[in-house]
Amino acid sequence: MTDAILVIGGGIAGINCAMNAAKYGAKVYLVDDTPSIGGMMARLDKTFPTNDCSICIEAPQMYEVDNHERIEILTNAEVRRVQAGGGIFKIRLLQKPKFVDESKCTGCGACVEACPVSLPDPLDGKIGGRRKLISMAFPQAVPNKVAIDPRCRSGAMRAAGACVGGCAVDCSQCRECPIALCVKACEKEGKKAVTLWQANRNIDIEVKSIVVATGIRNAPPAGDLLGYDRYPNVITNTEFERLMNAGGPTAGHIVRPSDQQPAHRIVWVQCAGRGLGPGRGTPYCSKVCCMIATKQAIIAKEHDSSIEAAIFYNDLKAYGKGFWDFHRKALENGVRFVRARPYVVSEDPVTHNLTVRYEHLDTGELRQQAADLLVLSTGLIPGDRNERLAKVLKIELDHLGFFKERDPILAPLETAVEGIYLCGGATGPIDIAESVTQATAAAMKAVLKN
Amino acid sequence: MPDDIRIGVFVCDCGTNIAGVLNVPELVAYARTLKHVVLADEGKWSCSVDYLGRMQDLIREQRINRVVVASCTPRTHEPLFKRATREAGLNPYLLEFVSIREQVSWVHMREPRAATEKAKDLIKMGVAKAALLEEGEEIRLPVQTDCLIIGGGVAGMNAALSVAAQGFRAHLVEKEARLGGMLNRLCFLSHDRRRMPAARIVETLAARVAVHPNIRVYTGTQVESVQGYIGNYKVALKANGAGAAATVGISTIIVATGMREIEPVGQFEYGCDPRVMTQLQLEAALRNRALGAVSSVVMIGCVNSKNDTRGCCNIGCHVAVKNAVAIKTLHPEADVFILYRDMSLVREEGEAQKRAKQMGVKFLRFPEQRYPEVRTEDGWLRVKVYDLLAGREFEIPADRLVLTTALRGDESVEQVKGLLKVSANADGFFQEAHVKLGPLEFASHGVSLAGCAKAPMFFKESCEAGIGAAMKASIPMKRGYIETEGIVADIDLTACSQCGLCAKRCPYNAIRVDAEQNPAVIKALCKGCGLCAADCPNECIGIVHYTDAQVLAQVDAALEEDPGRKIIAFVCHWCALGGVDMAGVSRLQYPPNARLIRVMCSARVSIKMMRRAFESGAAGVLVAGCEFPTCHYIQGNYAAETRVKRAKKQLARAGFDPEKLWNVWCSAADGPKFASTMRTMARELKLES
Ligand SMILES: Cc1cc2nc3c(=O)[nH]c(=O)nc-3n(C[C@H](O)[C@H](O)[C@H](O)COP(=O)(O)OP(=O)(O)OC[C@H]3O[C@@H](n4cnc5c(N)ncnc54)[C@H](O)[C@@H]3O)c2cc1C
Ligand SMILES: Cc1cc2nc3c(=O)[nH]c(=O)nc-3n(C[C@H](O)[C@H](O)[C@H](O)COP(=O)(O)OP(=O)(O)OC[C@H]3O[C@@H](n4cnc5c(N)ncnc54)[C@H](O)[C@@H]3O)c2cc1C
Ligand code: SF4
Repeated sequence: MTDAILVIGGGIAGINCAMNAAKYGAKVYLVDDTPSIGGMMARLDKTFPTNDCSICIEAPQMYEVDNHERIEILTNAEVRRVQAGGGIFKIRLLQKPKFVDESKCTGCGACVEACPVSLPDPLDGKIGGRRKLISMAFPQAVPNKVAIDPRCRSGAMRAAGACVGGCAVDCSQCRECPIALCVKACEKEGKKAVTLWQANRNIDIEVKSIVVATGIRNAPPAGDLLGYDRYPNVITNTEFERLMNAGGPTAGHIVRPSDQQPAHRIVWVQCAGRGLGPGRGTPYCSKVCCMIATKQAIIAKEHDSSIEAAIFYNDLKAYGKGFWDFHRKALENGVRFVRARPYVVSEDPVTHNLTVRYEHLDTGELRQQAADLLVLSTGLIPGDRNERLAKVLKIELDHLGFFKERDPILAPLETAVEGIYLCGGATGPIDIAESVTQATAAAMKAVLKN
Repeated sequence: MPDDIRIGVFVCDCGTNIAGVLNVPELVAYARTLKHVVLADEGKWSCSVDYLGRMQDLIREQRINRVVVASCTPRTHEPLFKRATREAGLNPYLLEFVSIREQVSWVHMREPRAATEKAKDLIKMGVAKAALLEEGEEIRLPVQTDCLIIGGGVAGMNAALSVAAQGFRAHLVEKEARLGGMLNRLCFLSHDRRRMPAARIVETLAARVAVHPNIRVYTGTQVESVQGYIGNYKVALKANGAGAAATVGISTIIVATGMREIEPVGQFEYGCDPRVMTQLQLEAALRNRALGAVSSVVMIGCVNSKNDTRGCCNIGCHVAVKNAVAIKTLHPEADVFILYRDMSLVREEGEAQKRAKQMGVKFLRFPEQRYPEVRTEDGWLRVKVYDLLAGREFEIPADRLVLTTALRGDESVEQVKGLLKVSANADGFFQEAHVKLGPLEFASHGVSLAGCAKAPMFFKESCEAGIGAAMKASIPMKRGYIETEGIVADIDLTACSQCGLCAKRCPYNAIRVDAEQNPAVIKALCKGCGLCAADCPNECIGIVHYTDAQVLAQVDAALEEDPGRKIIAFVCHWCALGGVDMAGVSRLQYPPNARLIRVMCSARVSIKMMRRAFESGAAGVLVAGCEFPTCHYIQGNYAAETRVKRAKKQLARAGFDPEKLWNVWCSAADGPKFASTMRTMARELKLES
């Protein structure tokens, strides 16, 4: 009988689940299907309600799981097959290649410098973030290794200027590469870590329990919500978070995407898209967005106290310990909270300044507000890989797409399959402290299962 | 100290990352000239398996007994080199890490000469400290498997069940006559779309508890005294009304004392008119079918919540909607009004509000500055409310008024606080170790926190916290010990004046004073921040791996030559060094004047250390710690801040310019802040060349 545990998802919930189970004595496989663990928290600037810097508190935990003798971290890996029987799960993981030999890469970055193609970052693109085709997920990434965009090898990036992908034979046929600049740069450093010929790897493991910690994601603004598709200065709250992050694309300068000039009038729109119908907006309250906006407004005012910050909201959710004080701190710092529902946004085509027309919810009046930057709180939605994972694990999703508990009252965090547990954003919108609490409880359940 | 100190220095090229800027052969040659150094070697990639093997061979062959690695950053690579050192047969505490990539080659790329000189200094400082290093060891404290759980609500019961399931012994203490806590007073419990009689939940859980052979339930009992620490508590339990207390040996403790309503006596006619009640009293009435005939029920939200002194009660809006629906179900013809400020309903709780509206419950929003008013007239309770949406005032006649009141911790919190030496906020909710990452623990090792004892929360959250707290308590019980890194405080009593300051200042309760007033460190509880050592008026506390002598040796080595051009920067291992590393990764260039000395926490830096730097002629001194409010040792940076202020006064008295003592509080993401501090310091101290 094995006492091993599989934790799927390496965000703050997965990290805490793995850490607790490993300290308890279990062997843990911590799997993430992206190149680094860290999840959403690795992208955040500060965290409400204390404004602790996110990576400052998360990175030490990331290093700790990385160095724990009983934890094996498998990144770029997904769960492909699960066979239950005899009290254990036989699992096949598929690790997709990073095209980098992790045992040789030291994360020095010479290859990144050499790479000729820099494209808008898929996540930070709107606020000017760029990413090379070979890159590190973020500076504190664990493992601290680079990965190559697979599109590079297939030739899909030729038009963008990629050095490889134009050969008659596929990269998998070669064992060295005279063309790729990253390969050369790495060789020049005296390593041979970039290996374009790397293939998929199957990894078979056996575990006694599984914890799903696959997190949440930010809802993309659908159908040109409040001008998001047309106006450069309309961004999401996740993009704003990156904008104010000293480790983000603008080094923490809160500037407008249109002209890189400091934003002075910033408006946050809560529940953006709510009530617009299926496919347009998140149909439930995402719980944390009010505090996210409050935090972002406080930090913006800390950067520059002359910034005019207004939060357009419906009902303020200050549901947790210390959250109300946090809201009051924002008020004291001059953040305006306006009960308002915006219905249209227009832009001056020359200055890219915005005008928000809204209904004041207390008076029913129609008013307008000028803004340099509009931040949409679009809500948190289930991960886009949940459906596939649920199928593989043979567990259910609820009607919203989050993982379903079999009996939230008498058996919290348990799924319909014995031995599979849930925690963090996989169960629905949630904050960090609650994620950690659930992760610790899920670890207890996972080690207790016999 | 052994006379034969043999230091090996391993300098890394990191490909061209270091060697592309610094003259590494020159560094190696220089290292060989330093006292005690018997070997210096250059590695192309020191962290590669090949080189680690070579390093270990050299350590063995040359009988090296102190190792200095000069390479990237200890934040990511120290564990690796520590492991390698151990595998080479050396005690890993005999390793000193010098950062010449993040602190030198990446940030002084355009000044290779000055950068090489700085790297030489850093290596010299590392060697000076290494010569004084002593062996350390992880410290273990045995822990048995008896767990005390204070509070028999759902959090406590869930904790007990999880602890007992492992074969450990759970002592579940409940001061009331029966288990269940708040749930014993509720009617239905609702969660998402589900409803369940509270009594049934209690029955189910209590039955599981009752049959479990590893759970001992003490109802009608309270904790009278607690002595000792994790693994070693002596707890006296006293049954209500009993004469004598019984003592049990306990290893870990879980606090699950729950919450209470704050009765709004004197407000809204509460206490004057029996028809005015709290939500909890309404629950009891519903549970006992004692509500009677009603025709108009008004609920007022946020009573004594969300004001100057108190936050959101977290659960009230949900409870109000639940109970409004319950009344509407019993009395469809009755009018039910919910007067609220903000409906704090999250996730899909809004659906319940929709259903309530469909059933005819009326929702009226009133302004924060204008709470409803109540008076009695012709047998009715008359509630005057300003409806924000309608923009005018209404008067609603009611025959029941239900107040959604604020909540606070149990009345026993003051006592429990004292027994366990933990803290709580003004409302009697206990203070967790870390608001984000330590929600289930206290700063004192061995005591966990579950359920509404931390803050008001829903049933499900309380259960999860109970199970999670059980995990925290179980880890040491399962392993049979707790272990701390060997970086701990050590008190030399010869000079001790028994002032007791260290015991008071320790954030972890790791220093206890005995009957003779002598302080002693319980090493397994010590986290090594060094706050006590820096504050001890008699300098009798040492911190392993960061002793006064070691740190001062670094200061002296740094300032041996040309001190007037150098800044001594004391940098905490966590965020400040994170900021330094971030500046490195981002290749932010700044002047090369600073010589960094790593400490675990900025609170370790004593005034003596700062002063020594000035006495040796340093151009300036910087103390860098985590940005507020983050601190890996709870509040070390706050202590450091006050100390820097004190130091300035003392320096001024001693004739030094206090303006040359700087501090910066820097997050691990904020490379730019560290770099700009360096630039500003160089400018203001007139060090720019
Ligand atoms: C803009 C923004 C700001 C926020 N600010 C705060 C704040 O200030 N304070 C606070 O408390 N909370 C905040 N939050 C909420 C916080 O981010 C979440 O509570 C937290 O990240 C949840 O952690 P998690 O580990 O459950 O999920 P995540 O952080 O989302 O991590 C999930 C991980 O699982 C991986 N994964 C997903 N699917 C799979 C799969 N199928 N196979 C393998 N791996 C998979 C992902 O790659 C990811 O690494 C904020 C959220 C946002 C969007
Ligand atoms: C009016 C109202 C309605 C609610 N409705 C819902 C709902 O519909 N859905 C939902 O999810 N949640 C609801 N809740 C919340 C739910 O009741 C709590 O989340 C849950 O009961 C908390 O459990 P607990 O174990 O943390 O605390 P408690 O239930 O308060 O238990 C704490 C126990 O510890 C004991 N104790 C305290 N101090 C000591 C001491 N020093 N020594 C020994 N014993 C001690 C107490 O006597 C008590 O039995 C409601 C709460 C209220 C007030
Ligand atoms: S990463 Fe660190 S140890 Fe590894 S080669 Fe570079 S400097 Fe040396």
